Amino acid sequence: MKKSHKIILSIITLGVLFWGSTPLAQAMHIMEGYLPPKYCIIWGVISLPFLAAGWFSIKKTLAEHRRSITILAIAGAFIFVISSLKIPSVTGSCSHMTGTGLGAILFGASSVSILGFIVLIFQAILLAHGGLTTLGANTFSMAIAGPIVSIGIYKLCQALKVNKYVGIFLAAFIGDLFTYCVTSVQLALAYPSAQGGVAASAIKFLTVFAPTQLPLAIVEGLLTVLIIIALETYATTELTDIGFVKEG
Amino acid sequence: MEKWIVLSAMFLLTILVFVVKRRNGRRHGERAHEHRHSFGHKHGGLISIDYLAYSSKIRHWNPTFKVILSVLTIILCIALNNVYVSIVVILAMAYLVIKVGGLALHDYLSVLAIPLAFILISIFAIVIDFSDQPIGIYHLYLGFGYLYTTMAMLKYGVFLMLKVIAAISGLQLMILTTPSSEVISVMKKAHVPKDFIALMNMIYRYIFILLDVFAKMKNSAESRLGYRDFKTSCYTFGGVASNMLVLSLKKAGAYYDAMEARCYDGELMFLEEDKKVEIRLIVPAAVYVLCLLLLWYLTR
Amino acid sequence: MKNRILKVDDLHYVYGNGKLALDGVSVEIFEGEKIAVIGANGSGKSTFFLNLNGVYTPAHGEIIYREMLVNKKNLNELRKNVGIVFQEADNQIIASTVRAEVGFGPMNLRLPKEEVIKRVKEALAYMNLSGFEDRPPHYLSGGEKKRVSIADIVAMKPEVMIFDEPTVSLDPQNAMLLEEVLLKLGGEDKTVLISTHDVDFAYRWAERVLVFCNGKIIADGTPLDVFQNMEILKLTNLKQPTMMEVYNVLVEKKILPDTQAYPKKVQELKAVLDDCAVLLSG
Repeated sequence: MKKSHKIILSIITLGVLFWGSTPLAQAMHIMEGYLPPKYCIIWGVISLPFLAAGWFSIKKTLAEHRRSITILAIAGAFIFVISSLKIPSVTGSCSHMTGTGLGAILFGASSVSILGFIVLIFQAILLAHGGLTTLGANTFSMAIAGPIVSIGIYKLCQALKVNKYVGIFLAAFIGDLFTYCVTSVQLALAYPSAQGGVAASAIKFLTVFAPTQLPLAIVEGLLTVLIIIALETYATTELTDIGFVKEG
Repeated sequence: MEKWIVLSAMFLLTILVFVVKRRNGRRHGERAHEHRHSFGHKHGGLISIDYLAYSSKIRHWNPTFKVILSVLTIILCIALNNVYVSIVVILAMAYLVIKVGGLALHDYLSVLAIPLAFILISIFAIVIDFSDQPIGIYHLYLGFGYLYTTMAMLKYGVFLMLKVIAAISGLQLMILTTPSSEVISVMKKAHVPKDFIALMNMIYRYIFILLDVFAKMKNSAESRLGYRDFKTSCYTFGGVASNMLVLSLKKAGAYYDAMEARCYDGELMFLEEDKKVEIRLIVPAAVYVLCLLLLWYLTR
Repeated sequence: MKNRILKVDDLHYVYGNGKLALDGVSVEIFEGEKIAVIGANGSGKSTFFLNLNGVYTPAHGEIIYREMLVNKKNLNELRKNVGIVFQEADNQIIASTVRAEVGFGPMNLRLPKEEVIKRVKEALAYMNLSGFEDRPPHYLSGGEKKRVSIADIVAMKPEVMIFDEPTVSLDPQNAMLLEEVLLKLGGEDKTVLISTHDVDFAYRWAERVLVFCNGKIIADGTPLDVFQNMEILKLTNLKQPTMMEVYNVLVEKKILPDTQAYPKKVQELKAVLDDCAVLLSG
């Protein structure tokens, strides 16, 4: 047994070293094959009503303005592209935005659920981020929970008359953090700790992902504010255009 | 036997880490290999999977067959949850995509390595646990309790990693041999709502248009020192991203007009090539699935 | 007398923001005509084209296709017979393989699948694109995309083909290829309308020139008539075609007699000069 202990120990050390040296900070897509079948199905079923609501809202928009299908498609492509671009970083590591907070503020939470779902499919087949069986879980954390929290914080800040840009920052920042928490809980439910159960496991996942996810959430918040400021300076007509997608 | 599995898993991991290191090194360093896919890297190499799928030798296989085989493989991996099945799947998929599909081993591994950071971090969280007792084969005192791991947990972690890599290999069969437009056409055959399919088709097309716009604007910003330091980079990124959105939204009307000019009336219909399902593919596929089931049954 | 294919009567078009884009345009277009449409950016050319194809609905005025007054119900009949190649191929290309893209129009015409496949094959061969069927547009070059966007329309076999500034951003080789295709189309007696800023091209290729200015047609005639009209040229900031200027200079310098036999190509100029030399020496 002694020999295999050493081998295993070295695997883990290697992993930790690797993780320390190459912090690939991207949204926490649960990858293909990670979740047991039961959880794949459960998360799919939980996401379903939200997706259905989003779908009917999009259907309604399309029934009223057939032309808005190209606007919706561009919104979807935009979220994909934004989330696949390397963003500026201080350390030189490779990080990506999630884009869901921005998407929710610009296009509304209901269309983002469907658009986010499509974006996740494309992330799986074009970027190998996430997967097909984990689509339900990823949709719930990234296309539903995150955007809903973002839009909630955004509206709350508007109601409380918080400075608009602070509100946008908080919406994107907390939305991102919430996604990260939901994903950690999803992982913990599937793999509870032998001693402490789901709660202890959730703490473990939160801890190991914190070094990549916390800075990412801050950058995400900042960039979202910058993009919205830039949008406002030269695009009033286009913003109204998206507005009608939002109402649908 | 299990010792050997752990050993080979470590070997696989070392290869993957090596590949990732090389890939990252190449990305930051000189782009010596860039000429290899002269136009695949038009979009900054961002979406190389798409390009690899278009150049696969088994692209002409019936897409429905490939998607079903791929999805079935993934489902078997996670449902059977058997380490021998995982190993066979990893090898079978690599054989199909690399040997039959003609993909470079290096490209295959670098796609496989994309979720590597996530795999390592999350498996690390699974093999380590807290306790107030110094138990397990390794433990570390942290003042309030012990971090520990046991042999069983380590084995569990390695087996889980193999399962995940097997499932990702199954996914690779689909994404590295079937262009997205064909995957979408398979979804259409599965009776996914028409508007959803239309949205997917358009989004797929616009992704590349947006990436082109982004690449052009980024280059022009870079030529004007827009990325000289972190703060400037952030402002530039914000400006470029929002400009990209505005430009594309302005064009949204033009896209629709151009479609209408060709008699589009709300239903997006594309001409698709019928690719026959060949018996000589179905038989080995069925044998492979049966073998997996048999293997699972024998090693249960 | 050739048959009239389109009649546009007192067309007005107003943009969503209230800007008047077309201000009383009337014109008749006949079978097999080769028409160049010139005018500054924003003078209404593209808007005119989109009205001709029925994508835009005019605020006032009517379009008569053959004997049929165009209305909401028979709009598709107009779109079927008037095809537009858009200025930017990327704005037009919607599908993710060349096959699906070129087949998009014929599919929308609800043709049987065999017919669609046949037309796609023909159109691709026509545009020298055979073998490109499975290529996705995002891995095509600019010139190839342009050719695909033309094949799009060729596959629909419209009676009238409209090109919106086709030569913009084409390299010399693709520009030459385009002119060859235009000649081929001309040989098949297709009606072709092209908007362009290239007066030399318009002078060389067209049988008829329409000049747009502020949403109105301010001149309509043969290239020779239009380009000799200094008033029109001044109003639209256009130059005279080089070949005409050269001829005028030669006449001015008394090298050529003023026979008004304006050459269109270098070859023709050479012939005129040769004739003249024969006259002088004889």
